[in-house]
Amino acid sequence: MTFKAFIIGLLATFGIPWLLLVVVPYSTMRSLEPVKYEKNSELSGAFVPKRDGRIREGSKIFGQEGCALCHTQVIRPTYAGNDVHRAEWAGLRKSSSVDEDTRRETIAQDFEQEEVAHLGQTRVGPDLSNFGRRLEHYLKVNKSSRNPEQWTFMHLYNPKGVPRYEVPEIGAQIITSWKSTCPPKGGLFRQVQVNGAGHGNLPLKIEEGVGIKPTDRARALVSYLVSLKKDTLGNPLPEALNFNPKAPKSKE
Amino acid sequence: MDHSRDNPLRRFSAFWIAILLATSFGIALIITQPFAPDKTDKAYQMLSEGRLEIKDEIDRAQDDALNKETLAKALQAQAKSFDKNMESKGSMPVPGAAPITAETPTD
Amino acid sequence: MAEENSTADSKDVLLRSSIDRSLRHPVMFFFASGSLWLVLSIILGLVASAKKHSPEFLTCFSWLDAGKVDAAHMSTMIYGWGSQAAFGIIIWLMARLSRKECTASGVILWAAHVWNAVVSYGVIRIIMGEGSGVTYMEFPSEVWPLLLICYTAITIWSLIQFQVRDAGHVYVSQWYLLAGLLWFPWIAVTAWVFVFLMDGHPLMVAGVAAWFKGTLFSLFFLPVALGSSYYLAPKVTGRPVYSYNIALFGFWSLAVFGPWAGMQKLAGAPVPQFLPYAGAASMILILIPAIAVGYNIIKTVIGNSEAIAESPSLRFTAAGIVLFVVFGALSVFLNTVSALKLTQFSSTGYGFDILGLYGVFSLCAFGSIYFIVPRITRREWLSRRFIKWHFFFSLYGVSSVVICAVAGGLSQGQGIEDLSQPFGTMAERGSQFSWGVTIAWAFILFANLFFCFHLLLMWARLGRRSSHPTLLNTSHPTSPHGAEGEVNNYSSASA
Repeated sequence: MTFKAFIIGLLATFGIPWLLLVVVPYSTMRSLEPVKYEKNSELSGAFVPKRDGRIREGSKIFGQEGCALCHTQVIRPTYAGNDVHRAEWAGLRKSSSVDEDTRRETIAQDFEQEEVAHLGQTRVGPDLSNFGRRLEHYLKVNKSSRNPEQWTFMHLYNPKGVPRYEVPEIGAQIITSWKSTCPPKGGLFRQVQVNGAGHGNLPLKIEEGVGIKPTDRARALVSYLVSLKKDTLGNPLPEALNFNPKAPKSKE
Repeated sequence: MDHSRDNPLRRFSAFWIAILLATSFGIALIITQPFAPDKTDKAYQMLSEGRLEIKDEIDRAQDDALNKETLAKALQAQAKSFDKNMESKGSMPVPGAAPITAETPTD
Repeated sequence: MAEENSTADSKDVLLRSSIDRSLRHPVMFFFASGSLWLVLSIILGLVASAKKHSPEFLTCFSWLDAGKVDAAHMSTMIYGWGSQAAFGIIIWLMARLSRKECTASGVILWAAHVWNAVVSYGVIRIIMGEGSGVTYMEFPSEVWPLLLICYTAITIWSLIQFQVRDAGHVYVSQWYLLAGLLWFPWIAVTAWVFVFLMDGHPLMVAGVAAWFKGTLFSLFFLPVALGSSYYLAPKVTGRPVYSYNIALFGFWSLAVFGPWAGMQKLAGAPVPQFLPYAGAASMILILIPAIAVGYNIIKTVIGNSEAIAESPSLRFTAAGIVLFVVFGALSVFLNTVSALKLTQFSSTGYGFDILGLYGVFSLCAFGSIYFIVPRITRREWLSRRFIKWHFFFSLYGVSSVVICAVAGGLSQGQGIEDLSQPFGTMAERGSQFSWGVTIAWAFILFANLFFCFHLLLMWARLGRRSSHPTLLNTSHPTSPHGAEGEVNNYSSASA
C-alpha cells in the first residue's frame, strides 16, 4: 500500500459519507419546498407554523442551560417510537374537555426561527414539543388564575412545587403527577428588595421585604417554552404533511 | 540508513501537503458552496406573493378612484392661499436663533 | 511488527533516546494536564449523575446546573483529557515509528498551552451558560477554530515526520495514526462550518453535531487507541502482529464504516429517513473492525500471557481491546431498529459513550502512558500498587457505569414505550440506576486520583531511578520489556 493509494482510499471512504450524509442533506434541507394548503381547504397559501414569543433568543438559552439533556423535542413517528400515544406529548387527546384530537408528529417546519433543533439527549423529563399547549390546557381545566408564563417561572424556580413556598390564596400548583426530578434553576432568578407586592415578582414568600424576580434570560426562556405548541390546533396541517388524516366525515 | 528522504525541501513540501490534506474537505466545502441552493425562506416568499397580489389590487383600485383633475384644481387653490397666509416676523427674538436672512419665496 | 530488534545496536538505542529526549516536554505536558482534566471531568460527571437522582444536590451553586455540568463533563473528557492524551501518544509514536527526532517541540509545547487555555475558556463559558447551546458541540463558536489551529500546530510535525521517514516498512500503527490525524480536521472543519458558520436548517445543524460526536470517536479516538495497541501488543510481547491481512481488513473496515456514525440520534426526527438508519447501520457494522482488531491483537498477545500479567502497559491495552470487542457487540444490540426506540432517548447512549471514551480509548491511552512516560522521563513508575489500583478501579468503575447506564437506559426506554405505565414510573426507574452510575464514577475518580498523583510525581522526575521497569508481578526474573541494563546506558531507550 503506497502513501498515495492510502490517501486516495481515505479520501474516498470518507468523502462518500461526507457527501451523502452531511453535505447534500444539509444543503437540501436549507431550502425546503414549502407545503401549500389544498385548494378546497379553509386556509390558503403556504403552511407556516405560527409561533409567538422570543423564539430565537429563548431557544438559544434553552440550549445553553442544558435543558436538552433531559428534555426532548421530537414526537417520533410510530415506526420509531410510541411518542404519539404518550399522554399529551404530541398534542391534546379528544376528551370531555377537548373537542378535537390535536396530536401530530414533529415536522421539519416546527423548528423555524431556531438556530438548532433541540431534539434532546435523554428523556429524564417529559418531551416538551407541546409544553405550551399542555400547560394552557391544564390551567384552563383547573381554572387556575395563573397565566402560563407565571406557572413556568414557578416551575423553573422550584420544580417540586414545595407548598411552603406557595402563597396560600393561589394554592399549590402541581401539574406533574409524579415527583419532578428537574433540578431547580435558581440561576435564572434574583432576589430583590420589595415593599408589598413587587411588580413582576414571583408569588412566593421567602422572607419579609424580599421578592424573587426572573432575570431577562428567564423571561426569554419562558417565552420560548410556552410557545411550544407543535400540534394541529391553530395550525392545521396541509394534507401533504398530515400522517394522521381524519376519516372522511359521513354526510348527514 | 538511507537519509536521502530527509532534507529541508522534502520537509517543506511535506508541510504543505499536510496542510492541504488536513484542509482538503474545508476546501471542498468552499468549492461546492456555489452549487448549493441558497438559504431562502420559500414559505415566506410564497406567502408574500399572496400579500403582494392583494396590495396590487388595492393600489389599482385606489388609482382608479383618484380623480386627477379635481385634485390638480384643489392643489392650485391651496397653493394660492399659501401666499396670502405668509407668516410675519415676531417681535420677540428667539434665543440662539440665527438671524433670518433668507428671502421669502416669490411664488 | 517485530520492528525493533531487542538486540538493537547502540546507534539505534541512541536514536530512540534522542527521539524521547526531543519530545520529553510536550508529551509529559499533554499527559499531565490531560490527567488533571480527567480528574476534573470525573468530578463533573459525578455531580451530573448525582443530580439525576438527587436534583437538589448542590443547587446552591446555580452555575452547577445539571445540563451545564453534563456538557462540561463531556467536553473536559473529550477535549481536556482525551484529545491531549491522544496528542501525546500520536507525537511520540509517530516520531518513534518514523525514527525521526521532533524538531518542533517548542511549537508543540506552546500550542499545548494554548489548547489548554482555550479548553478552559470554553468550559468556563459553558458553565456560565454562554455556550453555543448545540448539543454535542457545546463550546462557543469561537473556540473551534482556535482548537483547530492548535491541533495543526501540534500534529503537523508528525505528518512531516512520516513523509521524511527512512524508506521502508510502514507499521500498522502508522496507518491508524495517519488516518486519525487527517480524519480529525476533516470532521471538525466540516462540523464547524455547518454548525456555526452557515445558516442551515435547525434539524441538520443538530444532525451534523451528532455526526461530529459519533465520528469524533470512530475516526479519532478509536484510531489512536488502536494505533497504540498495534504498537504495544507486539512490542511488549516481542511477537509480530498475528496477521497483517487481518490488520489491513480491520483498518479499512473502520475507514469504510466509521464516517457514517452518529446520526442514529435523529431516528424519527423529520430529516431524510436514511440518515439516522445509516448511522445506526454503521454502528452495527463497527463490530466488524472490532472483531478483526480484537482477534488480531489478542492472538498477538495470547502466546505471552506472562506479559499481560506483568506489564501494566499491556494489561491496560488488552483490557481496552477486549472492551472494544464488547463495544462492537453491544453496538449491534443497541442500534437495531427495535432497540433504537428504547436507546435513543435513554441513558443507554451515555453509557455507550463512556464505554467508548473511557473503556476503550482511555484504557488504551493509559497503557501507552505507562509505556511512554518511563522512557521520556528516564525514571520508572514508583508504585506497583498505584498502577494495580488504577487498573482494577478503572475497570470496575467503567463496567459499573456502563452496566448501570445501559441497563437503566433500556429499562427507562421500555418504560417510555410501554403506554400502560405513566411517565413517572419510567422517570423513577431512570433515577434508581443513576445511583449506580454515581457510585461507579466515585470508583473511577479514586482510580484516577492515584493515576494523576503518580503521573505528576513522574513529571516532577521523582520516579524510580532503576534499570528494572515497574512490573505488576515481581516473581518473574525476566522483563517483558526486553533485556535489562539498557536503561543504565541509554536511559529511556530500553524496549
